[in-house]
Amino acid sequence: MTGNTLLQIFLFLQIFLIGMLATVAVQHAREHYKLQRKPEAPKPTPLSHEHIPPVVREKMIQTSQHQFQAVLNQSALDLQHDLKESSAKINNLVNKLATGIVAAEMERYQEELSRLHSQANTEMGGIRTEIAKHEAELKAKLAQEIEAEKQRLIKQIDTKLADAVGSFLVETLQHNIDLGSQSSYLIAMLEEHKADFVKGVADETQPTG
Amino acid sequence: MKLSLQDDVTSVQDLKTVILDIRKYAKWFGQTLVKMRMAGGGPYEPPVISTPAANLINEYSGGQQVNKEKLDELVAALEDFEATAPHISIALAAPVPSDLRKTLTDWFRKNISPNALVDFSFNSTMLGGMVVQYGSHVYDWSFKRQILVAHEHFPEVLRHV
Repeated sequence: MTGNTLLQIFLFLQIFLIGMLATVAVQHAREHYKLQRKPEAPKPTPLSHEHIPPVVREKMIQTSQHQFQAVLNQSALDLQHDLKESSAKINNLVNKLATGIVAAEMERYQEELSRLHSQANTEMGGIRTEIAKHEAELKAKLAQEIEAEKQRLIKQIDTKLADAVGSFLVETLQHNIDLGSQSSYLIAMLEEHKADFVKGVADETQPTG
Repeated sequence: MKLSLQDDVTSVQDLKTVILDIRKYAKWFGQTLVKMRMAGGGPYEPPVISTPAANLINEYSGGQQVNKEKLDELVAALEDFEATAPHISIALAAPVPSDLRKTLTDWFRKNISPNALVDFSFNSTMLGGMVVQYGSHVYDWSFKRQILVAHEHFPEVLRHV
């Protein structure tokens, strides 16, 4: 089979399909025009109230109004009741939700607080230990410095006191400070008060009366 | 005869010792004389007496024979001497060495009275110097007193150090 034969078969098939489509289009066009030419359906005639007496009609209208009002009131009441219930439920739910949220927040807050407390205690314990250690070191250092200062002051006081006592003795006793050999000092004192002695001896040996 | 004490008899205690020795010698002398008269013989050993007492007996007898009456007279003279001689008390800060004792006694006998009896004592609280007492007179030349008198001066000295 050649290419020309296949082309011919394909062209035939296309022509066949176009024919079928044209037939269907014609049929639809005919049906459409038929519908447009149909007469309009008779319109329903409005209900006439002329055959109902006015009293009855008035009564019916009142009854209908009463019923409508009653239904409306009942509906309002129901709606109000439902609204209250819904409000209460919503409030309840909101309360529960809020309580839950607050409880959860409180629990979280307490947990956080406990954690912080524990952390602070741990840190404070460390700080206390450090402070106690530092305090002990300071005390030891201070005691050492005080002892050194005390010894220095004692030495200084001893030196000054010795100097003061020495100066005082020298100034007070003057040349008599040589405690090892006092004979010259004693004789000098006796010579100095010789006149007093002679007078005293004379007074003591003078016969009374 | 006038008594003059020897240098080694300085205090009342020394004089009392001399008097006791002479009295002991006088007693022995009297007893020995009786024995010699009654029994004769000898020699009789005299009691041991101190050198100052022996020297005083020799000095008092003036080279003559010693008899009981002379010895009794000497004892009486010494007791009278003890009662009338000037008594001087000297207190020092330490026990008095013999040379210082002699120096002070000589000074008193040379300058105050040749018959002066000088008693020595010591009191370490005096620190130095001496306290001389004669009768009702007291001469306090101790270091303690001088320091106490000048104690108000001590703060001034301390300020200058």
